[in-house]
Amino acid sequence: MPKSILIDTTRCTACRGCQIACKEWHNLPANQTKQTGTHQNPPDLNPYNLKIVRFREHLDENKVVHWNFFPEQCRHCLVPPCKDVADMVLEGAIIQDAKTGAVLFTDRTASLSAEDCEAIRQVCPYNIPRRDDKTGKLTKCDYCIDRLQAGMVPICVKTCPTGAMAFGERSEMLELAQKRLAKVKKTFPKAFLADPQDVNVIYLLAEEKEHYYEYATF
Amino acid sequence: MQATRRSFLKGLSAGVLTLSLMGFDLKDVKAYAKTLKIEGAKEVISVCPFCAVCCQVIAYVRDGKLISTEGDPDYPVNEGSLCAKGAALHSMYTHTHGRVLKPMYRAPYSDKWEEKSWDWTLDQIARRIKDARDADFKQKNKQGQTVNRLESLFWMGTSHASNEECTVINSAVKSLGMVCIDHQARV
Amino acid sequence: MTNHWIDIKNSNCVLIIGSNAAEHHPVSFKWVLAAKDNGATLIHIDPKFSRTSARCDFHVPIRSGSDIAFLGGMIRYILDKKLYQEDYVRLYTNASFVVGKDYYFKDGVFSGLDTKNRRYDAKTWAFEKNADGSIVVDKEWKNPRCVFNLLKEHYSRYTLKTVSEVTGISEQDLVRVYDIFCATGKPNRAGTILYAIGWTQHTTGVQIIRTSAMIQLLLGNIGVAGGGINALRGEPNVQGSTDHALLYDSIPGYMSMPRAQWQTLDQYLKANTPTTKFPESANWKANTPKYMVSLLKAWFGDAATKDNEFGYQWLPKLDTFADTSYYSVIDNALHDRMRGGFVFGVNPCQSFANVNKVRESLDHLDWLVCGEIHNSETSDNWHRPGVDPKKIKTEVFLLPSAHRIEKEGTISNSGRWLQWFDKAIEPQGEARDFGNMLVPLMNKVRELYRKEGGVFPEPVLNMIWPEQYKAEDWTKRINGYFWSDVKVGNKVYHRGELVPAFGNLQADGSTSSLNWLYTASYTEEEGNKSKRRNPKQTPLQARLGIYPNWSWCWPVNRRILYNRASVDEHGKPWNPSLPVIVWNGKSWDGDVPDGPWPPLAEKGGKLPFIMHADGVAQLFGPGRADGPFPEHYEPVETPLKSHPFSKQLCSPVYKFFEEDMKKVAEPADPKYPIVLTTYSMTEHWCGGGETRNTPNLLEAEPQLYVEMSHELAKEKGIKNGDGVLLESARGSCEAIAMVTVRLRPFTIMGKTVHLVGMPFAFGWMTPKCGDATNRLTIGAYDPNTTIQECKACLVNLRKLDKLTEIG
Repeated sequence: MPKSILIDTTRCTACRGCQIACKEWHNLPANQTKQTGTHQNPPDLNPYNLKIVRFREHLDENKVVHWNFFPEQCRHCLVPPCKDVADMVLEGAIIQDAKTGAVLFTDRTASLSAEDCEAIRQVCPYNIPRRDDKTGKLTKCDYCIDRLQAGMVPICVKTCPTGAMAFGERSEMLELAQKRLAKVKKTFPKAFLADPQDVNVIYLLAEEKEHYYEYATF
Repeated sequence: MQATRRSFLKGLSAGVLTLSLMGFDLKDVKAYAKTLKIEGAKEVISVCPFCAVCCQVIAYVRDGKLISTEGDPDYPVNEGSLCAKGAALHSMYTHTHGRVLKPMYRAPYSDKWEEKSWDWTLDQIARRIKDARDADFKQKNKQGQTVNRLESLFWMGTSHASNEECTVINSAVKSLGMVCIDHQARV
Repeated sequence: MTNHWIDIKNSNCVLIIGSNAAEHHPVSFKWVLAAKDNGATLIHIDPKFSRTSARCDFHVPIRSGSDIAFLGGMIRYILDKKLYQEDYVRLYTNASFVVGKDYYFKDGVFSGLDTKNRRYDAKTWAFEKNADGSIVVDKEWKNPRCVFNLLKEHYSRYTLKTVSEVTGISEQDLVRVYDIFCATGKPNRAGTILYAIGWTQHTTGVQIIRTSAMIQLLLGNIGVAGGGINALRGEPNVQGSTDHALLYDSIPGYMSMPRAQWQTLDQYLKANTPTTKFPESANWKANTPKYMVSLLKAWFGDAATKDNEFGYQWLPKLDTFADTSYYSVIDNALHDRMRGGFVFGVNPCQSFANVNKVRESLDHLDWLVCGEIHNSETSDNWHRPGVDPKKIKTEVFLLPSAHRIEKEGTISNSGRWLQWFDKAIEPQGEARDFGNMLVPLMNKVRELYRKEGGVFPEPVLNMIWPEQYKAEDWTKRINGYFWSDVKVGNKVYHRGELVPAFGNLQADGSTSSLNWLYTASYTEEEGNKSKRRNPKQTPLQARLGIYPNWSWCWPVNRRILYNRASVDEHGKPWNPSLPVIVWNGKSWDGDVPDGPWPPLAEKGGKLPFIMHADGVAQLFGPGRADGPFPEHYEPVETPLKSHPFSKQLCSPVYKFFEEDMKKVAEPADPKYPIVLTTYSMTEHWCGGGETRNTPNLLEAEPQLYVEMSHELAKEKGIKNGDGVLLESARGSCEAIAMVTVRLRPFTIMGKTVHLVGMPFAFGWMTPKCGDATNRLTIGAYDPNTTIQECKACLVNLRKLDKLTEIG
């Protein structure tokens, strides 16, 4: 049974501890960014940001403000389409660890052509992979596989102050997800779990995906 | 390669799932996972230098170098968690661009900084303190009351100081008779 | 904080006002959400919908600077609907005290105003006295001049309609908040108020905080688990640096700075040692002589003797009304009255209000010593945009400072927990901690005095000063030592031993302590308690989450202040399901109580508010500079010409310097119609010096922005992401427009008022990120604290196509 992360967005405060902790653990350099009228920066995933918090706001029909935060990362699909595509070209470029469920982009992705990388990108239902033009490698969240193998939790989960993220056995996380959902629904009747049967990183969203991110769920 | 996001999703099924999970190559995963970067590093307890939640932090140190920082999971207040700033401590502490690394001196009307030694710098400052104090020290006020104070020098800061450093600052300021002292309790 | 971080989880209602806790104390939200998990309602009152609002049950927008109106309305609501916890109010507050006949409040002004000097004479605010000097008490609350009745009368003007007009909060929303929060007035319910430094940054800041304290007293929420007034202290060790008095007006342990009217130690002690006629009052401050003499002894050691008033004459004395805070220094520097100074770990040229004045004033100094991790807008001020360094005389010494990770010592968190941090790595380059700068520096100064003599060398030479700085030596000195052999009870303590608790401090010179509040933090038996890491708790303690064996907390490891107010006069908890302390017939269980005495009703029992002379909390507070009851006044720059509470538009006693008043917008000034409020950020630290130099944080928040409503943006032809120029009467500033539904126009007294918000973390030292927002903010100050009103001023703004500060 793989491991899962439950991300309850109704507990997220967008403190971006996870976004920064991910960079720090992976020793990723900073991008030069600009203020463009949003707190969301960098604006998108990139080879140096394997996890970003997306911000989206709207006024509802009662003129109540909703500000949703979406700490985005690879879902570590149970059946990763990216791997299936990669396998057709170069076995071992994308691998999956049965013990943890981690879907991993290896150094061999550097041998993939730009077109192959784009195909892999296109097949991801969640728009996660990004190609590092400098190295030619495909990049994304690696589930902190080094930490998992050492018996530690992913750094984003460890860093989260509010308990928006939980990590554990998939069965336990699914159970927790249902429990949380039942509770959250009392306040947010439209709340739902994003593709829990297909992914190991399960999001609990308070309202439709349009209010988070187009690719929040498929 | 013509697979698109939509076309591929249609092909998913439970059967594929089992096959895929069984088909991974363990050797590759092992090769992928490098050694844990903090393995064997010394753990030192520190405290995040920002807000007064004062989250405790574990610094991982090897050969005198800071390898990584994480929240202290045992500290009952933050329980291992950190915010964006706390999560950035490792790169903040190891980044040297813009950091002042030597005593610097800017002469009157100069347009540049000069590197100086600590000894020279402290000698110069001590001289200026004494000259100002000897020139400006006020033993009586207008009403003739004894006040023994120095009004022409000031001290600003700092809540970044430890309690011990604060008492050093206050002791120094009081012994000189300085009365202009303030810090971030106000700003 | 009266309580502490973990205790927030015990609350039934968390009212966050004057704070954006989720953004500025992000980890606090672990405990705020824990309260929610336990069934609490979370309410956020703030001009802007923020990440805090997003996680609260609901958010209510309030116009910046109208807090006292909002809170005063709550007081009226509590009194009108009898929602107060009556037993608590009767027993533990001064509601029954009778105020003297000469007190009045008329046309927005209290009795005793000296308009020329902008100062109140508080004589008429005194309580009526009996022939024996004791305070007249009316337990029946029949006397119209008893505090309870005066309170009712004072806030009778704070009707829902009036409060709504001034704050911009609908009457419906007011009632919603008041109802939910005031439900914590029941004995078994607790509400907490979380605020932060921003709440103090008004010309009425102190009174805002006081109003919140009065509400908490009326509701019986002080001293209880999940209650309290919780200042979420911002700066890394601002609790400790305040305790240790890096302030002009106090000395360590919250004692008054010596003033010229107290020429002798006896005069100082007489004026600063309160007395009481109430036998049930512990009047803790009666111990002031012990703490003061021990402080003098800690500074001057064997040189301090009874014959020389323990060195009291070596301390500087301020004139009676002298204010030598930050802004006086800046104003004096501008007028060439300062020679030089030290700026350590603070960035006045970035973080202070009306920063153009600050920047200019530093040019007038002969010399400046900065202790900094990075070259800052202050240390590099001579180099700032638009200035020719060749015209600036100031000599600058920039001393490289160590980061936290490169040094050891203690800090005090917002809940007063004393936490030790170890040194992990050596300082980079030649950086040093402040101790290793100042100890050698002072040794050099002392050497000069020894060699050359000089003016009044005694304090310089008599101060105990080590050859080298070792942090833990000072941790011990803070705790304090015995200076001669002393017998206390049956135990003999010897010279050189650590004092076990502040109860052992003496006024005869036999003990020392650099801060009496910290005595007991480092003892012979248990060593350095700031290093304790034991999570052990009794079941009662575990329910509260007070962790008495983890680190140590001042005073005497008491985790919840005023906890004697959490029980009735028999020692029975108001809320038996969540007791803080319980009287077991012989002693107290739970937290460390406010003194060992039995409950109030028993022989020798004491009142809970031991730091007040009369043992009770002050609904009527005659000790403040601007009145015994908080009153709504407009910010100095206000979009209104008048307000409905009184004829007095602004506080009659707010502080200012002549220089600053030249650049102030008129009330309802058509040139500056928009309210500006400023704030901190999650990703940057205050002025941004450290975090702008951390690329991963700059990546997340790279440039200065101004948050504004869609309505204002439309009015001004501004789109999201456009460049904007903001102008106030004092300066201008570029920013990027962040157009958002999270800010909405207010309707204030029938007119539309726009409010915009900006962070103040961006400065010119970081290329192309923008420059100080504080070029816009106003130099007008609270009369009690001289804290600047940077949470409300007036600006105008327009679209700017070509930006020069932001790239």
